[in-house]
Amino acid sequence: MAKIIVIDDDDQLLHMVGLMLERGGHNITLISNPRDGLERIKAHKPDLLVLDVMMPGMSGHDLTRQIRETSGLEGLPILILTARSQDIDRDTALKIGANAYLSKPVTSQELIKQIDTLLTPKVDEKAAPGMILSLFGLRGGVGQTTLATNLALALRRVSQHEVCLVDLSLAVGQTPFHLHLKPQSSWADLMGSNTFDWPMVKEHLAIHPTGLRLLPAPAMPQTSDGLPAYFIIQLIELLRSRMMFTVLDLPPILCPAFMAALEMTDVGLHVISPDVISVRTAVQANRALVNSGIKLKQKSFILNQVSAKPQLSKATVERVLNGRIPFHIDFDPNQMQALTQGTPLALTGTNSPIPTIINRMAEVIWNRAQKARG
Amino acid sequence: MSLGTRNLISLDLFTDAYRVTGHTKVGVGGIHAELANPNSNFLEIQDAYISRINQPGEIVTHYQEAAFRKNNINFIVLQDRRVGIPVGTQHGRSIYTRGRPIPAFLTVPSFEIKGEIIHEGKVAPRDILVKSIGNYLLIFAAEASASLYPNIAYSGDLIMVSKDRIGLIGLGKK
Repeated sequence: MAKIIVIDDDDQLLHMVGLMLERGGHNITLISNPRDGLERIKAHKPDLLVLDVMMPGMSGHDLTRQIRETSGLEGLPILILTARSQDIDRDTALKIGANAYLSKPVTSQELIKQIDTLLTPKVDEKAAPGMILSLFGLRGGVGQTTLATNLALALRRVSQHEVCLVDLSLAVGQTPFHLHLKPQSSWADLMGSNTFDWPMVKEHLAIHPTGLRLLPAPAMPQTSDGLPAYFIIQLIELLRSRMMFTVLDLPPILCPAFMAALEMTDVGLHVISPDVISVRTAVQANRALVNSGIKLKQKSFILNQVSAKPQLSKATVERVLNGRIPFHIDFDPNQMQALTQGTPLALTGTNSPIPTIINRMAEVIWNRAQKARG
Repeated sequence: MSLGTRNLISLDLFTDAYRVTGHTKVGVGGIHAELANPNSNFLEIQDAYISRINQPGEIVTHYQEAAFRKNNINFIVLQDRRVGIPVGTQHGRSIYTRGRPIPAFLTVPSFEIKGEIIHEGKVAPRDILVKSIGNYLLIFAAEASASLYPNIAYSGDLIMVSKDRIGLIGLGKK
């Protein structure tokens, strides 16, 4: 979360930009009179300034010049956001000391992406190295993607740090539907080169209005060869160094990429539902992992009831798995509507089962991450 | 007396020496009706930010209300062509839906403008200048560059060029 000051004489636009940035998880101060700008910038010490150009009394250019001449503010990132949309306007803004330029009208995605680019060095410094959380299970249809999406959003909300959700599905990922996003690329687009760096990964991340980043699965189904282990290792290493939390939604296949991801995981969340097939699959999956020599640093079960009537009770599931289930999510009747609307329940503030448990989980994980960082 | 619905549109207006960015109120007849209004020789601009054309990024001064003599306007740059196509000709079988694009080059004092006009029938400058609707020629996907400072250019989805200010017009391929 960054401290951002927005200066614009148009109250409506000012509040709209403020809302976009608040949804991006930032702490916003709005100023409508540019003459007050310099003093308030000195007082607030923001991480970034979003500035209009055409304002009565003092133009954004004049304010930028003053800021650049003020001791201590020479390095303040300034994003010019103006209705003057000509190339010459961009050149002028950059020449007088702005760091970036966007012309109105602007979408929240464009704005958040640009702001994120300007803030990246500071965010990285605070966030690295991050925690890797994997949601996995070899039985599909147990709500794993729903929980991964909600957990990533809840972590973003509670921590206000960088969080990335990685959809590693091989059979057309569903995370964009959950988040109501239309991503233009996926992890498959990173496959072209043997090595890739952070700017390349970042280029393929979609941004949700909350600021959550998403690396989506490809739009076409892939074979397990399409997701090699070396790729996953490189990807997770990069995300760990840049994100406070990376939430992996693993495919339900024991492929090398699955194994590699679990080996690098800090918290593994095995998602099952209270039915005979799911529990039986979970028992076999545990055996397979043990036989493969994979030891998770920390592992918990999430028992997610995806139908109104469970086949098995929690006690029965615990007995069969020979372990305690710390997270039990009852059937949530609101989930279908949330999926249709592209608004995950973690964002709605309702007290239904999914957001209640997921928000609790996020708080536990966030507290643990803070303790680990001292 | 009711003034009816009036919308505020954004524009970049150019005279021989100045660039003015601001808003103007238009009625149901759109910007063309305002420019052709015989009751006023001036176009009123709100929130007018004035720059010199040799330093067009720099704002010289600002006025909340300003008025520009219409016959001083060389051209107006609009970022959305829907704002500048004459009302009643945006849809149906109008020239703007059935015409074909023709490359065009024009000069006005201090500027040269390249883009496309939409025209139907034989390409003849006289026809285009005389028979086209209104006092402004519509140049689509256009770019205007300052004659003395060719590196200074302005682009717009539509540039409305005052017919009275056109010094030269070239049509079709070079």
